[in-house]
Amino acid sequence: MVPLGAAPPGGDSPHRVRIIDGTLACLARHGTNKTTVDDIARQSGVSRATVYRAFPGGRDEILGAVVDTEAARLFSALGVQLGTAGDLADALVAGIVEASVRLRDHAALHFLVEHEPGIVLGHLAFADSDRLLATASRFTAPFLARWMPPTEAERVAEWAARIVLSYAIAPSDRTDPCDPAQVRRLVTTFMLPGIDALHSAGAAPIDITPYHGSRRTPGGPVPAR
Amino acid sequence: MDDARQRIVEAAYACVARRGVAKTTIEDVAREAGMSRATVYRAFPGGRDEVVNATVAWATLDFFGRLYERIQGAESLEEMMERGIMFAYRSIVEHEVLQRVMQTEPDKLLPILTVESNRIRDGIAAVLAPYLGQRGLAPGVDLEDAADFLARMILSYISAPGRWDLDDPDQVARLVRSELLAGVVDPAQTG
Repeated sequence: MVPLGAAPPGGDSPHRVRIIDGTLACLARHGTNKTTVDDIARQSGVSRATVYRAFPGGRDEILGAVVDTEAARLFSALGVQLGTAGDLADALVAGIVEASVRLRDHAALHFLVEHEPGIVLGHLAFADSDRLLATASRFTAPFLARWMPPTEAERVAEWAARIVLSYAIAPSDRTDPCDPAQVRRLVTTFMLPGIDALHSAGAAPIDITPYHGSRRTPGGPVPAR
Repeated sequence: MDDARQRIVEAAYACVARRGVAKTTIEDVAREAGMSRATVYRAFPGGRDEVVNATVAWATLDFFGRLYERIQGAESLEEMMERGIMFAYRSIVEHEVLQRVMQTEPDKLLPILTVESNRIRDGIAAVLAPYLGQRGLAPGVDLEDAADFLARMILSYISAPGRWDLDDPDQVARLVRSELLAGVVDPAQTG
């Protein structure tokens, strides 16, 4: 994933957001395979030339920008929720619900899961899922650091991201991750005691293992310990 | 699974291991199993897709068989989970066929794996439930809720460990006692 906040080329084009939103509408109806630059231009109400001026790389560049923009939108919405929460439980509940609702209501994402599963599921499996968790935790951990040391905040943020992904990928008939009351039950039952245990005084300090893309090379040798 | 289906699935696994999913045909599988194409179709009327799905299901079952062996004799819920998580994580990392297909043909495998992961999750919950019941749950915690939550989390950690090093017994012990069990088991009883 491109680092969020990196200035994209052509970022000053006033049409970029319009084109990105037009593309999202196209994706929700036709997926990536059947969406052309012409479709995007028509849906966005701009000319082909305008699309290429804003995104000289064409379709691939637009699709990359859509992913980055949607991630940025998700994380800024999470930032608002987490930043205004009164306590840790409120923050966890608000963050999990916000992310779950946005995933549930994302029409383009649903079309892709249904019709082009490889594109989406690839990000949810094994090493790519690790990267997704890392991004989610890097972004949300600073908000949780109001209540715990930064290293623990990263673990807890990653844990919350696991919960969101698990219920998004495999819906449960026990817990609706979009229902604040049900999420609060989950947070108070399972997460708060777990967070206490993570920083309980008697336990050994956590040895934070940094992310290394190569640490778990699939099929590679067992790391020496 | 009857004998013919068993032989076909094992043959299909060997073919996929050698050449991947896309290049494995019913002819290949029949030849590998020493059967006619007609016999393969009698056992799997759905053809190639059905054979591939059954092969993934068989590999999952094989994994659970070895997992059961690995956790036998564990003296506590914690020890059982530690052993199971370390074994499961290593099994995924070292599973050459799984890793190769994931790298070369993720589109072929991911949709099947997504369906299969629901069965794996229910399987993990079924393994956990009796241990949880025996151990005693924290007040107000429902056994099936706890088993489902733990199975979801375990599946998440073993497929994407994130910040946890699941080859390190100390970290796994800590994971089990914090993010996994702290809210689940009765704090009055120590493990």
